[in-house]
Amino acid sequence: MSALSILQLYPDELGVAGDRGNVMAVRERLQRSGHEVTIVEHVAGNKLPGAADLVVVGNGPLSAMRNVHADLLASADTLRGYVASGVPLFAYGSGAELFGHGITQLDGSVMDGIEILPFSAERIQTRTVGYVLTETKFGGLVGFEDNASAWHLDRPADALGVLLEGGGNSDGNAEGVLFGSLIGTQIGGPVLPLNPLLTDAIIGFMAANSGFDYAPSAELLDLDRYAEQARDVIVSHAKHVFSRI
Amino acid sequence: MANKPYGPKYFVPVVAGKAVRAVAKIRGGGSAFPGYVTTRLAPNFLRDVTSQFRYGIVYVLGSNGKSTTTHMLTEVLRGHGLTVFTNPSGANLPQGIASSILAESSVFGRLKADIGVLEVDEAFALEFAAVVPPATVLVLNTQVDQLYRFYETERVADMMLDTAERASAHIVTNREDPYLSKIARRYAAGDATRPDITYFGATEAVIAAAPHGLFNAKDYRDAHITLEPHVARAELVGTDRAGATIDVAGQVIDVILPAKGLHYGIDAAAALATASVILGEDFSGESAAKAFAAMKPAYGRGELLQFGEEQVEFVMFKNAASLQLNLDALPEPPEQVLLAIDEGTPDISWIYDIDFAALDHVDVITGAKAWQIALRLEHEGIRIGTVEPDLKKAIDIMKGLPKPSSGLKTWIVNYEIMMLARKQIGFLELENQR
Repeated sequence: MSALSILQLYPDELGVAGDRGNVMAVRERLQRSGHEVTIVEHVAGNKLPGAADLVVVGNGPLSAMRNVHADLLASADTLRGYVASGVPLFAYGSGAELFGHGITQLDGSVMDGIEILPFSAERIQTRTVGYVLTETKFGGLVGFEDNASAWHLDRPADALGVLLEGGGNSDGNAEGVLFGSLIGTQIGGPVLPLNPLLTDAIIGFMAANSGFDYAPSAELLDLDRYAEQARDVIVSHAKHVFSRI
Repeated sequence: MANKPYGPKYFVPVVAGKAVRAVAKIRGGGSAFPGYVTTRLAPNFLRDVTSQFRYGIVYVLGSNGKSTTTHMLTEVLRGHGLTVFTNPSGANLPQGIASSILAESSVFGRLKADIGVLEVDEAFALEFAAVVPPATVLVLNTQVDQLYRFYETERVADMMLDTAERASAHIVTNREDPYLSKIARRYAAGDATRPDITYFGATEAVIAAAPHGLFNAKDYRDAHITLEPHVARAELVGTDRAGATIDVAGQVIDVILPAKGLHYGIDAAAALATASVILGEDFSGESAAKAFAAMKPAYGRGELLQFGEEQVEFVMFKNAASLQLNLDALPEPPEQVLLAIDEGTPDISWIYDIDFAALDHVDVITGAKAWQIALRLEHEGIRIGTVEPDLKKAIDIMKGLPKPSSGLKTWIVNYEIMMLARKQIGFLELENQR
């Protein structure tokens, strides 16, 4: 079987928050469980590949979003084609916002999204910074959030999870968006290394769509042990270190 | 005379501030409050004191390297016979600077110095420029730093560029920095109010030889995201284990650096460009090189401290750029390594953007974020000895390891851990108490 491909969009511009870590977490779990993986980095101006097994996009400042915007709009049909064929998506922060309906900025202007994720983003005055804890159907997620963005989900779109601690979507107690095998979140850290359950769920989506078997191997023990310890500390610090700065 | 910059009018405010300072010292803290007291009683105090300096005030701004460069520039100017007032490294917020000016000033508000060299936190620099106007502003670099505090890197760039525009005489900045190299665009052609603009930089070959270059942020808001080319007054033309070769307006100067790395080399070029533009004809390459030879590292920046029979080399970082540049500067993988981050660095997601190839193993990982670092290194397959979040226990483990052949243990730590670790091994003074 040929290698599984993870397509990371705009790793320089939308990759300021350790977004390579999300790609790395998926890669390590697959490789240590016996699967070959290639990472394809999409740079503005290049042509997207004909197929991918997973699409990952991360976070960047507004200037970087503007910088890749034209290329993203030009690539929208190809990206929608992946989604139509069942390719899962993991999108964090402003990269996720560009996959939604669009981003309303503080001056009222709107940056268009590519209408793949069912939500709209609104930049707000209040910034939420600190550890975040969320309960999801994949298990409890921990991470670090740092954004001044409210996410308004379409009805009846599902949130990724319910907040236990932190600001999440800044719209009720919801965090993120979940639409089939498409995930958008504002949990950083990065989130996937810290939360093997979510990473395994994403790999499960890949396995179902691309037709391979995935069973986490014993080679993942150290990764899981360190993640568990890191999570325990985050859970115990989330309440009293700083929920806001 | 009412408009004299010093005299009896300052007696009461200065004595009040000094009294508060004396009390605060006995109680062991409160270094910023005395400055607050004096400036409340006499709002023009700081402007008046610093206006007595022949060469005025120099601000040193930047995402990384402020303390080191302030120290270098101060020593180079002293090496030319100037009396230099400077703030202790790390005390770079307005009230802290006010307190250090107060401490040095006479009760009549006189401070005998030829020049002031001040490291200033970029977020407060513009506001501080209204109180203590700079003659010269040196801006070192714009690197992705503390996004939880600054939100977007371009905001930091603008804070520094706006402050630079307040310079009455000279702007000195980094040709290799995409944001900073474009500063001249802020002025219309022929604008007579424009201070002179001087650049420092490094040759392409020197930058290309470093695994990750200078790590300056790209300017995504401009159609041209990289730097704008200029002629540099001081150019780093070579580095080796001990030092750097810098071409200052045609004069090639070999300097010994207080710590290793390309970033220290470019900081030295920044200090030399600034000294040369301020001193003009009086600048001497020989005096500058002598000053570098006598220089000790700034607090915790490549410092060597005694640790029982061995020595500890402190490698301190505050953000992704400073960690990567310090790792890149390691000549070979260190024999014994402690790596530590605590909650003083709230968001460490960027550790996944760091290339740790310069380490072949880590003996002890410590600090409140120890498990998160272990998780990161495990993704890279880097061998981990012990994970011990408690710093005191971690130091004991380091102590128990056999003496390395070099006699040197390398501790790679964030700022807060550096302070705690120094204390643990018997170096009690805090950074701003030096």
